[in-house]
Amino acid sequence: MRDCLKSLAVLSCVALLPVACKVVKTPDPEAASAVAQTDEARMAVYAADIWDAKVLPMAKESAVPLQELKAEIAANGLDAVGNAYGLRPEGEANPWNFVSSGEGVIIEANTQSRAAKLAVDIDGNGAADLVVQLGPVVRGTALRDAMPFIIFSDFRDQIEFAKLARALNDLASQSVTLPEGDLVGRRVEFEGVYTLRNAGDAIELVPTKLQVH
Amino acid sequence: MKLNRRHFMSGVTATAVLPLARPAFAAEKGLMAIITPSHDNPFFKAEAVGAEARAIDLGYETLIMVHDDDPNKQSELFDTAIARGVNAIILDNAGADATVAAVQRAKDAGIPSFLIDREIKESGIAISQIVSNNYQGAQLGAEEFVRLMGEAGNYVELVGREADTNAGIRSSGYHDIIDQYPDLVMVAQQSANWSQTEGYEKMETILQANPDIKGVICGNDTMAMGAWAALETAGRTDVIVVGFDGSNDVRDSILAGGIKATVLQPAFRQAQIAVEQADQFLTVGSTGQNEKQLMDCVLITAENAAKLETFALSA
Repeated sequence: MRDCLKSLAVLSCVALLPVACKVVKTPDPEAASAVAQTDEARMAVYAADIWDAKVLPMAKESAVPLQELKAEIAANGLDAVGNAYGLRPEGEANPWNFVSSGEGVIIEANTQSRAAKLAVDIDGNGAADLVVQLGPVVRGTALRDAMPFIIFSDFRDQIEFAKLARALNDLASQSVTLPEGDLVGRRVEFEGVYTLRNAGDAIELVPTKLQVH
Repeated sequence: MKLNRRHFMSGVTATAVLPLARPAFAAEKGLMAIITPSHDNPFFKAEAVGAEARAIDLGYETLIMVHDDDPNKQSELFDTAIARGVNAIILDNAGADATVAAVQRAKDAGIPSFLIDREIKESGIAISQIVSNNYQGAQLGAEEFVRLMGEAGNYVELVGREADTNAGIRSSGYHDIIDQYPDLVMVAQQSANWSQTEGYEKMETILQANPDIKGVICGNDTMAMGAWAALETAGRTDVIVVGFDGSNDVRDSILAGGIKATVLQPAFRQAQIAVEQADQFLTVGSTGQNEKQLMDCVLITAENAAKLETFALSA
């Protein structure tokens, strides 16, 4: 009887061995998302997975110089320009998202607020042509909605989908590094995504690239 | 499946239990069932009215039913719809989990479902799920709330019914904004189940325990109306109340200087789009859209409230 128990114990140890091995396996993205339980954590992992591999290349590829885009909207209207350069999910009420790049002078910098912002003048007339959202509070879902490979139907529900938008905004905010000192008057190069509901609306760009000189 | 449906149909016709089983004027394109929560909430009434008007325009007969947020009742209504051999079901559902089986049953009977307002937890069963961009809308409402609060003070959150995804998503959108402001302190968070009466009762109790509140943010307009009524009764019209839906009741309160803001869900148009997609699906076999679709919401304040009528904003 004792022998029998002993051999059983040995057997079960042997049986457990491969399981134990699995736990110490080198982590891969799949294992990471399996560990991450909440929507928030899972979407943060997914956002990090696609950020360098897909989001940044897509932004770079779709970027149109901001002044060019503004001129075209003034000439041909938002929908025409949206059809040519815009990105948006299918569906009637979805506004256009655009990716734009450019260079200008910082005329206002609010870096104290939780919703930190830079106002940038491109054409040198002293008025802001766009606002760059620095976060950590970033408005909207432009970054998510501009990515054609992100499709709402692939997600469980709006909660999961919203957490993805938040995770992408967080990555945009985290990837910004600002130099010390007063930013007003300095030149800035930018590339980023924004939503435009109406032709005349203020541009609130979520940066995918930002370089203050 | 087809056989099954015809069988049910003939059963109904033979016994003639349902008064509308044999309409005097047979609609050319068939019958659409429009199933929503109770019309007591004007939001759901607007959906039903919007969907019905569009369906009749497009040549359908309609069967309007309410499930009162009861999944069992909803299940019975689906049986009725299947038995009546409807061509399509337009649905604002009674629970993200509980509804999956009912929609699947309709699908198995060859009847496509087009969901509005609320999602279900699975895709690939309904043809369309058209919902408001609740997260985007909640962020708009929260930003306005933060501004009205001056970025500081104690506040209360009234959340909706837990089984409804929209309750969670709006709360999540609110907190993604509000929690970034450390001087805004939530002293109470309770569910009032989307209900005006419960909103009133919960607000009354919360106010007794926390007289020092400055604001109340609500997951929908009916709860906001209830909370506002309780605050008025207690002589606390200084408290900032923000809702969500864009109902005519809250519009009137905003214009009268009561509730401060709400977020419009384009419910009327949303219901119409669902009917249009159903019609397209029945006529050409595809809606040409992804199953899940989001519609953006609009912030309503004293500035634009006058343009709001029955969940639609005039230009």
